[in-house]
Amino acid sequence: MRPMLKLDDLRATVGDEDEAKTILTGLSLEVPAGEVHAIMGPNGAGKSTLSYILTGRDGYEVTGGSAELEGEDLLDMDPEERAAKGLFLSFQYPVEIPGVPVMTFVRTAMNAQRKLRGEDEISAPDFIKKSREIGKQLNLTTEMLKRPVNVGFSGGEKKRLEIFQMMMLEPRFAILDETDSGLDIDALRTVANGVNALRGPERAMLVITHYQRLLDHIKPDKVHVLANGKIIKTGGPELALRLEEEGYDGVLGEAA
Amino acid sequence: MTVSIEALKEKFRNPGPAELELIARYAMLPESGQRERAFFAFAETGLPHRRMEAWKWTDFKNAIGAVEASKHASQAAPLPTPNAAIIEFSATGVTLPDTLPKGIKLHQREDSQALGNAEDVPLGAMTAALAGRVGGLDTLIIEVTEQTDTPVHIIMRGDRDEANFARVAVIVRPGASLELIESHVGGAGFSSFLIEIGMQEGGHVRRTVFQRGSADEAQAITAVVNLGDKSEYTQTALAFGAQVARLETQLKHQESGSHATLNGAYLCADGYHADYTSVVRHGAPSTVTRQLTKGAVLGGGTGVFQGKFYVPRTVGQHTDADMQHQALLLEDGAVVFAKPELEIYADDVECAHGNTSGALDPNQLFYMRQRGIPEADARALLTEAFIAEALEDANEGVEDALLDAARSFLAERV
Repeated sequence: MRPMLKLDDLRATVGDEDEAKTILTGLSLEVPAGEVHAIMGPNGAGKSTLSYILTGRDGYEVTGGSAELEGEDLLDMDPEERAAKGLFLSFQYPVEIPGVPVMTFVRTAMNAQRKLRGEDEISAPDFIKKSREIGKQLNLTTEMLKRPVNVGFSGGEKKRLEIFQMMMLEPRFAILDETDSGLDIDALRTVANGVNALRGPERAMLVITHYQRLLDHIKPDKVHVLANGKIIKTGGPELALRLEEEGYDGVLGEAA
Repeated sequence: MTVSIEALKEKFRNPGPAELELIARYAMLPESGQRERAFFAFAETGLPHRRMEAWKWTDFKNAIGAVEASKHASQAAPLPTPNAAIIEFSATGVTLPDTLPKGIKLHQREDSQALGNAEDVPLGAMTAALAGRVGGLDTLIIEVTEQTDTPVHIIMRGDRDEANFARVAVIVRPGASLELIESHVGGAGFSSFLIEIGMQEGGHVRRTVFQRGSADEAQAITAVVNLGDKSEYTQTALAFGAQVARLETQLKHQESGSHATLNGAYLCADGYHADYTSVVRHGAPSTVTRQLTKGAVLGGGTGVFQGKFYVPRTVGQHTDADMQHQALLLEDGAVVFAKPELEIYADDVECAHGNTSGALDPNQLFYMRQRGIPEADARALLTEAFIAEALEDANEGVEDALLDAARSFLAERV
């Protein structure tokens, strides 16, 4: 089966040319359609960097290798084109957008993606119906969806709002960057239910996390360990359990 | 005329071609003591220019080389106000509404006295001297005697004219209220509008101003506002600028318990200049001022904010005043000048001010682009949301029209 996301020997630096710091050192990874892969790794391993490079944030330079989504070169596209191709990032630190209500924001995003794909806009009643249903699943009230994006939201509410946006936009490939941080146990279950609802043969996901606990709720097909800018070990869900028991040092020592 | 043109010229130090034309215009108008006083006050400074402290960033003398016909008809449509009583000033005269809302009377005077400090403002004095024409009215007086809902909409619109000068006085009787809307849409090489608003006890005025000229026009909108006991004045303006455009407000809290809100937004494209200048005098105890000005400027555009709160020693006690100015520099080459001033002599007051300028936040832009919103749309949406806060207190009937004007400007240019 052709992979949905294919990263081959990806190398990247961050910072200005004279002070550029190498952060990806030849990262290779394949995520087939229908699968959920987890990436775990110690602080500073390059986990968040990977999500930013894949989504096209400024400030990073790809110095080698390739990244393809369904056979198309991701690195050649603007961030909004990547989004329209179905790439979604649930941010580790969601950004506040003062003055722009959630509903306006999501509808603008949804229609912008549709326009880039040459599709018709969603009708207002369809949009409202869909947002109510999804909001309900995630315990987000109508009042919250009228507030400016992430402004005055708690850490957990922000993460639920990320998942709300994901469920509204229905991406083909989602990257969840530390979506479990800031969530209590109930919220974690709510979020995981939302994520699991989107699992399907046409979609794939990359779940970046420090801890095993999210993976109790979102069962990965594969677990990768990222350290020093590349994948150094790949295994099944049992690898996450081993990491929890032995720590990164134990597993990394073995790999090295 | 008792005063010859030659004698008038001597009143001006070194008059330029535009000032000579203004002298000639003055000489053609009917003689009047008030007019003369105003014109002599104007002659003290002539057209304001950059060597005057209050005008250092907005130079009318330089911008108006000569009073020449605008190359453009009016730049924008006036705000849509289907239910308003419309008063339109053009270069050829004034058009008054057929019927007036209950509680509003219009008076026309050939010789009316300035409220007080209009003559201290150079373009206020000039407008007081030059508004009106032979056989026409000098000042239009709007007297408000009751609480009124139907807005009065004043339109200043030219059609490739040289000059359009108008003067309006508003008298708000005790407990009366007025919704005032103004559209200053250019169409004259030099437009100047003077409005003097006197509010008596418990009076309410909400003034909503829309300004949009073209890049070869000069526009001055000068307001002199006096607040009586427990009166409330709310001003909201949206300015797109012109070659030079100045929205100046001279406001005095004259009796205790009055409340003023002075909000404004500016959006300046390449070649456009918008200036918000205000002086607020807290001349009575326990008066409140809230001021929020927000602007966004593109490369080659200029925004100016000059705000001053003056709080005298004895009468200004328990003043509560806040002044905020926030600017977005959307591109390289955008220029914003800001001069917030608090001059406080009373010791038991709460006065604050804040002044910021910066670019759009790259984190916000990336977040929006990651959701699929193209960069230009993201910039426009963020900018609109930024300035919208300053427009929230506008008349509800035109608030959407103001936002639409801002939105289409941003969609086109950002």
